[in-house]
Amino acid sequence: MTGDEVIEKIKSSVGDDIQKGEVDLGDAVIFVSPENLHKVAQFLKEDSQLNFEYLSDIRGVDYLDQDREPRFEAVYELQSFEHNHAVRIRVGLEEENPSVPTVSDLWKGAMYPERELFDMLGFDVAGHPDLKRLIMPEEWEGHPLRRDYPLTIEDVAFSHNRDYKSELVKSKPPTR
Amino acid sequence: MSITEQGLLERDKDTMTLNMGPSHPSTHGVFRVILEMDGEMVLSAEPEIGYLHTGIEKTSENKRYVHVIPMTDRLDYLAPPQNNLAFCLTTEKLLQCEIPIRAEYLRVIMCELARIGSHLVWLATHALDIGAMTVFLYCWREREMILDLNEEISGVRMMTSYIRVGGVMKDATPEWLGKVRKFIDYLPAKIDEYERLLTNNPIWLDRTQGVGVMTREEAINWSLSGPALRASGVDFDFRKKRPYSGYENFEFDVPTGKNGDVYDRYLVRVEELRQSRRIVAQALNKFPDGPYKAQDNKVSLPDRDTLHTSMEALIHHFKLVSEGISVPKGETYVPTEGPRGEVGFYIVSDGSNVPYRVKLRAPSFMAIPGMCHMMSGSFIADVVAIIGSIDIVMGEVDR
Repeated sequence: MTGDEVIEKIKSSVGDDIQKGEVDLGDAVIFVSPENLHKVAQFLKEDSQLNFEYLSDIRGVDYLDQDREPRFEAVYELQSFEHNHAVRIRVGLEEENPSVPTVSDLWKGAMYPERELFDMLGFDVAGHPDLKRLIMPEEWEGHPLRRDYPLTIEDVAFSHNRDYKSELVKSKPPTR
Repeated sequence: MSITEQGLLERDKDTMTLNMGPSHPSTHGVFRVILEMDGEMVLSAEPEIGYLHTGIEKTSENKRYVHVIPMTDRLDYLAPPQNNLAFCLTTEKLLQCEIPIRAEYLRVIMCELARIGSHLVWLATHALDIGAMTVFLYCWREREMILDLNEEISGVRMMTSYIRVGGVMKDATPEWLGKVRKFIDYLPAKIDEYERLLTNNPIWLDRTQGVGVMTREEAINWSLSGPALRASGVDFDFRKKRPYSGYENFEFDVPTGKNGDVYDRYLVRVEELRQSRRIVAQALNKFPDGPYKAQDNKVSLPDRDTLHTSMEALIHHFKLVSEGISVPKGETYVPTEGPRGEVGFYIVSDGSNVPYRVKLRAPSFMAIPGMCHMMSGSFIADVVAIIGSIDIVMGEVDR
């Protein structure tokens, strides 16, 4: 199916559960609320005409200062090997307590990227069987891929730089 | 039964926790797996990553598009052109930029040489892990020739940064193409030689057949990709199914396996060596003339000799070097077929010259949970074979 046909099919079947569906730069994209994500994902996987059996990737985006609501987004990339088409699910998440339901019960491959969402962006993934830090150490504070995560230089423990260390360590959001 | 005997029996039931890595030769980088063992049997495997964490995604948010390309080299450091290509294709999709056919052919040649090189390193180390020393040395010898070719065209042996937004870094000379041709003619006999050493070798068969079995459904469910997925019987290759960079112009087969074990993954990759060689040979046979970069001065640098005569070219040159490429607002993803599987960058652009968000889809990262699933129920000696057969590169796992 082409991107337009995929969107048409999704709209005609679960149109009430999705916020919007469009073809953006040739990619089929649907916008779903976190509440409906699991239901829509299950439909996409199990419907024989769509058959999105493969989860390619999950990524999170922080749209700080981008003049849009909501601030966060979790993006799911699905593929169908049988029909050779793809769809992207974009889930908008509120700034306060961003949370998505897990899809690791549908695709086991979601285990790691969902832990990465939690680790690097601080999203809560409800129902994930093993939600803990993945790349950063357990005791790490903050979520490095958030746009307002302070960029600092590493605190090098030498006595000769003690005096100007405070100047080097800056706590400010990344500049453009 | 005495107390001591009772104690021994109880201790027999206990499981042992074994830390493997982070410096074990078969873990190919800084990967640690915590195994719960019952004797020689692995009950469960818990991976631990993050030792190498380079922060490339975060760093990309503060660098111009052009400056991200050398960083992508450091991800899958065994096949840098593949990462360059994945990043450039996504940026070009946002730019809606037209790429000349000669540039596409050069990209294909570089990527397929990189795939051969990467598979050679895989075969060398995988065979060494299982105990075959000779193959290691043979494969390294051939890979050295690919590095020489890299050096000649880009000036660098490993981190080539050869593929650029809008085309490639510089044009290929007839001498270089001749050397590629020479290498391509030399390779098939060598691949046969590796196969003679391994494919019907009883020790190799014992160590690989029926080990780390992944069925078709499991492989899809655990998001394996590339040769590991195809070894489980899934006939899917992005170069074939969703061609990019002119792959539709080449004839090649997509090898698949039946059993999804370590042996099938070996066979699939060895066949891919031959198919990649076939693609390079076709590219050399019909190598087109024309420009090697996009004729869009907002994207690629003007030709050097025009700088002396054209004011416009000078301005474009200055703007591109000092400001970089401005990419229209939008977000997209282009999947490509790397040596380890699906590689792609999800780029969010806010319309400026710096990407707002860059996310890499790394095949090794996605394969690690599935790999540990394979380990449960196998022997400790098989763990090494399984890790080798997935061909993980930690640069793209701990990006």
